[in-house]
Amino acid sequence: MLWLCIRLPALRHEALAADEGEALERLCAWAYQWSSRVCSRRGDEMRPPLLWLELAASRALFGEPAALLARIERELRDMGYSHVCAIAPTPAAAALLTHSSARDGVSRCLLTHVALGEQLASLPLRLLALPLETRDALRSAGLACIGEVLAMPRAALARRFGPDCTHYLARLLGEVDDPQPSFRLPAVYRARCVFDYDLQDTQGLLFPLQRLLQEFQGYLRARDRAVLNFRLELEHVRRASGSREHSSSTLTIGLSTPAREAARFLTLVRERLQNLALSAPVSALTLAADAFTAPAVVQADLFGSETQQLGELTHLLDRLRARLGVEAVQELLLYADHRPERAFGSSPSATAMTRRVDAHTGSITAAITASPTNAARPGALLAPAQHIEAPTTLLTGPERIASGWWDGDDVVRDYYVARAADGSRQWVFHDLRENSWYLQGLWI
Amino acid sequence: MLSNPARTTSELRVRLEQMARRRRLSDAGGAPALCSGHAALDALLPGGGWPLGALTELLSDQCGIGELELLLPALQNLARRGRCLVWIAPPYVPYAPALLQRGLALERLLWIRTERPQAALWAAEQALRCPAVGAVLAWSEYIVDRSLRRLQLAAESGDTFGILHRPAAAAGEPSPAALRLQLQPLGEDLGVEIRKARGARAGIHLRLSLRLSPALPAAPPAPAPALASPATSTLFFASSDALAMHPSASTAA
Repeated sequence: MLWLCIRLPALRHEALAADEGEALERLCAWAYQWSSRVCSRRGDEMRPPLLWLELAASRALFGEPAALLARIERELRDMGYSHVCAIAPTPAAAALLTHSSARDGVSRCLLTHVALGEQLASLPLRLLALPLETRDALRSAGLACIGEVLAMPRAALARRFGPDCTHYLARLLGEVDDPQPSFRLPAVYRARCVFDYDLQDTQGLLFPLQRLLQEFQGYLRARDRAVLNFRLELEHVRRASGSREHSSSTLTIGLSTPAREAARFLTLVRERLQNLALSAPVSALTLAADAFTAPAVVQADLFGSETQQLGELTHLLDRLRARLGVEAVQELLLYADHRPERAFGSSPSATAMTRRVDAHTGSITAAITASPTNAARPGALLAPAQHIEAPTTLLTGPERIASGWWDGDDVVRDYYVARAADGSRQWVFHDLRENSWYLQGLWI
Repeated sequence: MLSNPARTTSELRVRLEQMARRRRLSDAGGAPALCSGHAALDALLPGGGWPLGALTELLSDQCGIGELELLLPALQNLARRGRCLVWIAPPYVPYAPALLQRGLALERLLWIRTERPQAALWAAEQALRCPAVGAVLAWSEYIVDRSLRRLQLAAESGDTFGILHRPAAAAGEPSPAALRLQLQPLGEDLGVEIRKARGARAGIHLRLSLRLSPALPAAPPAPAPALASPATSTLFFASSDALAMHPSASTAA
């Protein structure tokens, strides 16, 4: 086994978590994408919190430990977490080595189990995770480095300092198992940031969100799932004359295809926040998701770029919807009705052009395309039709449309193509019931 | 890593597309162009067609003079190739049955509805930058120079056909658009004046005849208000004449 230990000296502060446990929970979920064995230990006054990942089992998937380490460190850096890493065959040794990594910033890697004790021998004994009194006693006995401690008879150490001491050394060297309570991925995702001071504008939310989304991406990768939407829950606080008024609001970010890329989420969130006016300053933010789907499989085909185009289009649609609202992005529909104003429709575009033409629309489409000339229609429709004076120049017509007696909105109209005074061509009708004229379309 | 093969093939494809584009550029001796379908117009346009990856302005105060018919062959071409056509805040409803009649598949059309000019400009910019979009049709009453530049830059980032409808008065203002056409109705035809064409002569007038309202019977000499008698017996059929001329126009519910 090979353990990567990550020491997180400023975790609670950097994660903006309410407590360290929550922060560790979030990072464990993120780390799970690289290893199915993740564990953590909360810090205390003396020691910062630690996070461990077992890497040997991940070698087939993620390559050599050094390469994976570089990748993990890069993500930690991107998310803005101070960290010190070290790799060793036992969790205790990895934790110990993070101390020497901390001094020069270079991550220590001990990849083999062979002569682990000798490799640790030259390090100072203060690095051992033993109680302070024990270390003081060892030092006053004239010992200075780990090698000298390991050279002592274990039985003597056990007598002098108790069995915990020798057990620790055995775990350090891998002589006995070091069972760690393994982290388990939660079934629903919830990550909360509490801000040190209230954020007044939405731009301030972007920085913590960037990290939250990166962690979320890790969680989704770990579960091999994707989402079609997630929620941002904003906790507002309004301070007025000594009292605090709390409220909350929720933003749902929707996607048209399952996704799990932090970058894509961030683009959508940014568009959404751009148009958002905060009702009150934000004191905390929660990212939540509880419904997951299988990730969309992207098939990289060299010459058929259709898949890629569809992907691009999906991103465009999502961005447009996030910024302009769902209602602003429409696709056109057909209805089987002879009344022009009822023959079309539009609906918020549900999917990225993947809309299957259903049998109903299909038959109308067929009817229209089969006989394209029997009832030419203008490209632009005025809805509702405008009442006009009787036109002077009629070019073609009439085309009688009488329909709708069954729904109480029956019409009897004669349609003409007319030329307006400004030279444009209009689609006008003569309402035979009202005996009046209307402009309904333009031949663009 | 798992994602590596996908990355290499997509990189390869990007390279291929770049090569193809460069090839098109050199073939055309300039910017890539899309055949307009009107031989007389193509002959005057640099590259022999509508400029792609650039903005084209249509300047006119009238709506309904065949501006879509002018673009139609090119739009059909793009739609056939599976590219998406985005209509951004048109001053009317893009009428689905008509568009379908003209060979534009509805599932490739996107209609952006917004009242806010800034939002429309932003949407146009986004659409121009999306490789899956073949053409962007935008309308603008008033647009500042800076926004125009942004649109032109967005268009240059891809090979999209960007069309901006502007009022005729805008012809007097400078514009970064690659092509500016002033349109006006000439009887049955459409008058086109090339106000600016990057890499070609400007100031040329031509007359295009577009089939605007095909296959409808000619109007009777005098549109008879007499027809207007509200007779229930003519609910379905205007007259035997009309029936004979276009039987499908009347409906049998």
